[in-house]
Amino acid sequence: MNNPLLDKLPVGICLVNEAYEIVYLNAFFLDRMPVELRGDALGKPLADVFPEQIKFLKRRIKSVFVLKHPSFSYWEQRPHIFPFKSSRPITGEETQMVQNMEIVPHKDIETGQQYACILIQDVTAQASYFKAQAQLAEELKAEHEAQRKLIRKLDRAQSQLIQAEKMASTGQLAAGIAHEINNPMGFVTANLNTLEQYAQNLLETCQATKKLVASHAPEHIEALEDLFDATHVELIEEDMGPLIQESKDGLKRVSDIVSTLRSFAEEPQHTWGYLNLHDTANQLVQLISTQFKRPRFKVTCEPAQLKWYCESASLKQALTNLMMNAAQSIDENGLVMLDIRQTGSGTVAIKIVDTGCGISEANLKRVFEPFFTTRPEGKGQGLGLSVAYSAIEKHKGKLAINSREGKGTVIEVRLPVLKEQEEDKSASNPSTESL
Amino acid sequence: MNDTVALSEDQRDALQELMNISMGQAANSLAHLIETKIGISIPKITAVTPDGLYELVSHNQQAYYTRQSFMGDIHGEVMSILTQHGLTEVAELLEYEQPLSENDINETILELSNILAGACLAGLSEQLELATNLQMPTLFAPQKSDFSKYDWQHSLVMEVKFDIHISSFTMRVVFCLDDASLTRLKSTIDELLG
Repeated sequence: MNNPLLDKLPVGICLVNEAYEIVYLNAFFLDRMPVELRGDALGKPLADVFPEQIKFLKRRIKSVFVLKHPSFSYWEQRPHIFPFKSSRPITGEETQMVQNMEIVPHKDIETGQQYACILIQDVTAQASYFKAQAQLAEELKAEHEAQRKLIRKLDRAQSQLIQAEKMASTGQLAAGIAHEINNPMGFVTANLNTLEQYAQNLLETCQATKKLVASHAPEHIEALEDLFDATHVELIEEDMGPLIQESKDGLKRVSDIVSTLRSFAEEPQHTWGYLNLHDTANQLVQLISTQFKRPRFKVTCEPAQLKWYCESASLKQALTNLMMNAAQSIDENGLVMLDIRQTGSGTVAIKIVDTGCGISEANLKRVFEPFFTTRPEGKGQGLGLSVAYSAIEKHKGKLAINSREGKGTVIEVRLPVLKEQEEDKSASNPSTESL
Repeated sequence: MNDTVALSEDQRDALQELMNISMGQAANSLAHLIETKIGISIPKITAVTPDGLYELVSHNQQAYYTRQSFMGDIHGEVMSILTQHGLTEVAELLEYEQPLSENDINETILELSNILAGACLAGLSEQLELATNLQMPTLFAPQKSDFSKYDWQHSLVMEVKFDIHISSFTMRVVFCLDDASLTRLKSTIDELLG
């Protein structure tokens, strides 16, 4: 057995007889053993030299003796079978040698004696490389996950940006149109007032003329009356007042709409402050009812004139989208109700109830997905609810939707009380800020 | 089917008989080692394509898989499929202490595969007088490997099932041989059949 070649092998060899006594150790094995064990290990029972490992070793050696074929142990499950120092005591990161073990049966041809040959392979380098790889893979996976989250966030941000941009440009357009309407409205109103005065004067002149002719030239009175009849002076006299009043009323309505539009559209973006929810709801209904004539609208607010700390532009946007959806769901007669209620705990619950066509169960799961729409192509972008959702999220609120097809839909928005500091925090912390 | 794979009926019967004997020896050795009764099924010998092999090894979701290659006069790989059910009892027979850590479970799986696959191979080699060396077993996930990328078209598969009576544990061992080894195996069987 004492072949000097065996001492040159890069493998540890330990030969054990059937009594579990060590009968041979090669140089590789000896060199890596703790110094105090080296001297008298040979000839000793394996249990005395490696008492901590003996249970495992005995089991494996027994299996080799019984089955007469090799037994293996892999570093991943059992990295340090023998208390061997790392092969790199100076530069290595591991202090203990990582080992693969193979126990093979060996039969001495001359004596017929059975042995178990323990072969130890130093895999410290491979193991640490493998571990580094595994760690790297883990890190990559985490990074990948983070990136996926970011991409999802980016996707959402992009769709909201598109919507915001559109809304901003529609807002600007509305404000511009409102301004343009206001100019002619100014002179039309002024002129109408003057015209009313002029018409009054003319009619009075007619009456005076009639009186003058009657007293001074009665022979001409008939001709004058014929002239008056021919030009329908009497009818003009009757009709003029109501006509002008109606026109004035119409102008008043136009100017009301224009001012609502302006107060709605010209809101500076992303400013937090107190918003009168009651007024906003009324303005909103006024605006929407000009576009949707069929449904009846009802606004309730408890307490009246409730003022709420919020980012008014986005909250108005959210309410507009929700109300528009409700109004659009009604084909014939129906009701859209907007109920604002402050609860006992101070939060506010905004309920939007419609008696419209409702949403099917399958679609209900998808309504908050950006670009999901059931309207024909070109009629809707499918961004209304997702924009509303993120606006409510920005206010740390919750949006719940309940619907029965053919019956109607109830949307409930719950907003917690936000203090000025909280909102500041959420604005400066990008992770909680909804993009 | 590839000609090298086709076994004549005599060859198949002979191989099945040889397998049966070596499996029996394997079961006996293991029974002796862990002191419990072990049942074996009649070996099944089939020729498969990579897809067929995938079907063969991966139909049981609740299983552990190992593979182990062998070299020498014949080359090939042994795949072992172990049920997850009943493994704890077997680990106990192998003197592992409860509760089992993940490493204990993995070591039990590898050791069991090695013992049974090794015993089968040793028995078969001995009867056919072929020299073989079994390499270290490793854990294997067939779900993660692409069997269709394997560069062989047909392989001979010898399959056997072990039951350990004390628990509901079963294990299947599938031997796959490459073409050259098959030719060698067939000629050896022919010699035996004389």
